[in-house]
Amino acid sequence: MWKKALIVLLLVSGVVAACAQFEQRDKRFYYRALWNFALREDLKELDIDFNGIDFGHSHLYENLLLTNAEDVQAIEDRARKETLRFIASRPALPPNEEAIAPTYMKLAWRAQNTFDEAHALHRATYDIYVAELSSEQREQALEKVLRFYKKSPYAITGHRLDHQRLDTLPYSKAFRRRFPLFNATIWAYHYLQIAVYDPLAAAPDLKSKQQAVQPILDRYHRYLAEPPVAWTFMPLTAEYSPRFAQQLPEIANIFDNLHMLHDTISDILTSLSFRTWDEKRQEIYRALDSYYLASADQTNPMIIPVGGGQERGHRH
Amino acid sequence: MRIRLPLLLIILSCPLVVLALDHDNLDPNRPIQMEDAYAIPEGEIGLESGVRFNDRRRGRTGVIFQPQIIYGAFRNTQIEIQTDLLTEPLSAVGPSRSGDLHLGVLYNFNTETLQLPAFAVRVEADLPTGVNSRGIDTQITGIMTRSFGRLRAHLNAGYTIVGQAQGLERNGSYRFVAALSYPVGYPNRFRETLILDVYTRQSDLVGQRNNTGIEIGIRHQLSSRIVVDAGVGTEFYGPADRAAATGTVGLSVGF
Repeated sequence: MWKKALIVLLLVSGVVAACAQFEQRDKRFYYRALWNFALREDLKELDIDFNGIDFGHSHLYENLLLTNAEDVQAIEDRARKETLRFIASRPALPPNEEAIAPTYMKLAWRAQNTFDEAHALHRATYDIYVAELSSEQREQALEKVLRFYKKSPYAITGHRLDHQRLDTLPYSKAFRRRFPLFNATIWAYHYLQIAVYDPLAAAPDLKSKQQAVQPILDRYHRYLAEPPVAWTFMPLTAEYSPRFAQQLPEIANIFDNLHMLHDTISDILTSLSFRTWDEKRQEIYRALDSYYLASADQTNPMIIPVGGGQERGHRH
Repeated sequence: MRIRLPLLLIILSCPLVVLALDHDNLDPNRPIQMEDAYAIPEGEIGLESGVRFNDRRRGRTGVIFQPQIIYGAFRNTQIEIQTDLLTEPLSAVGPSRSGDLHLGVLYNFNTETLQLPAFAVRVEADLPTGVNSRGIDTQITGIMTRSFGRLRAHLNAGYTIVGQAQGLERNGSYRFVAALSYPVGYPNRFRETLILDVYTRQSDLVGQRNNTGIEIGIRHQLSSRIVVDAGVGTEFYGPADRAAATGTVGLSVGF
């Protein structure tokens, strides 16, 4: 009799645990427009490096999870160098991130979907800046993609978040302290992602756009070769593309908040405060729901009120 | 075997001019009959087409053209319109006739988590618009996807109710497919997925053995929007006219 009871108990526990993890996939197609893939078609050099970046975050998260972030060499040496090899392979298409990080995707799909939609916004803005559009058409296109993005329940807040405060959570900085090289590599990606906007906007034609991004690509590749470990904080859009940040503050805030969310998740996956995968998942979702998603705007304590001053300068 | 080459070329080349489904998102017949539990993203439109030959152990070899439109109508839901065009329409038996209009809905309940596989249900109706076709056939299929590292395992279990069976045709039949898929090339390349399945289904006519076979295929991401696929298979058990060899080539375009 007690055996049957035990089996029933195990079954019920299994069902309850499974239900607790029930999540919908909720994939959404990107905003459809004539300028889709302008970057891939017309500015291949930059697009190829962005494809390389897509590998980096997923590969890091999978390796942090599978090694419990205890093996410094596995992250700093092996995983980082695999990432550099992938970037050096000049991928013409973005990699399949579910094949790179199958465990992480099952752990925190909702956070991944948040990344995917914000990355789609990133891609859309690059396409708009590269496509042959008039200033007016570009403004309209940017407005449309932002409106489309904000309709999603996975949208990151467009308000400016207090990144310094987000960097003082109990587990903050855990990743950069234990894995400074990989952290600086991640920040180098973020540098590339935000530094190209102003030069692309200022360049009048495709040839000058190609010329305008080349120094940024050169600098990015120097950072990959020698990661900027002296940096003490992630690069911010206003530092590298001030005109873009001024003209499109909501989009700039979304990108900065997206990059901060990457840092927060790296810290949670590294921190010893969360010993089990389930604890890590719970904290990832707590931070996501409380501090990052636009759906938390009414109660988010990290939002800096309008007129709250400039974010402190950073040391890059 | 008569292959209408111009028609084949038109079907294969038309979608190239438009805009692709993800090569890791597996739809039935692209290139083998198994599918995964995931719908295409909300808002995506997919045009798929393929050419399939079926070299039977007894009887003439048939070629099937399979144009299909898929639309991500809502989050986690795709709707499909498809038809099969057979080169030997008069010899077809069973629920699927040449020219039948096939409407389907796939609903994905959940994404896979550490404890829970992904589940989906597919509901389909075949309208009798084809050659010698009568009655509306309906089908329901349960789909499960579970991954083990990069290897993904899929189970499909379906039942078809034949609207108006003719002659010795069954009134209903079941079908089971077990499959594995694997993205080849990690960590250097992410453009191909290898797929293998084994299946068994009740024969079209009563009193015959189950058609039971094995298929293998590959999907290749050709560009941002285009996936090409190819597959081969054989039925090693079943009625006398079971497939000795099947082969499929196709492409999917997402935009």
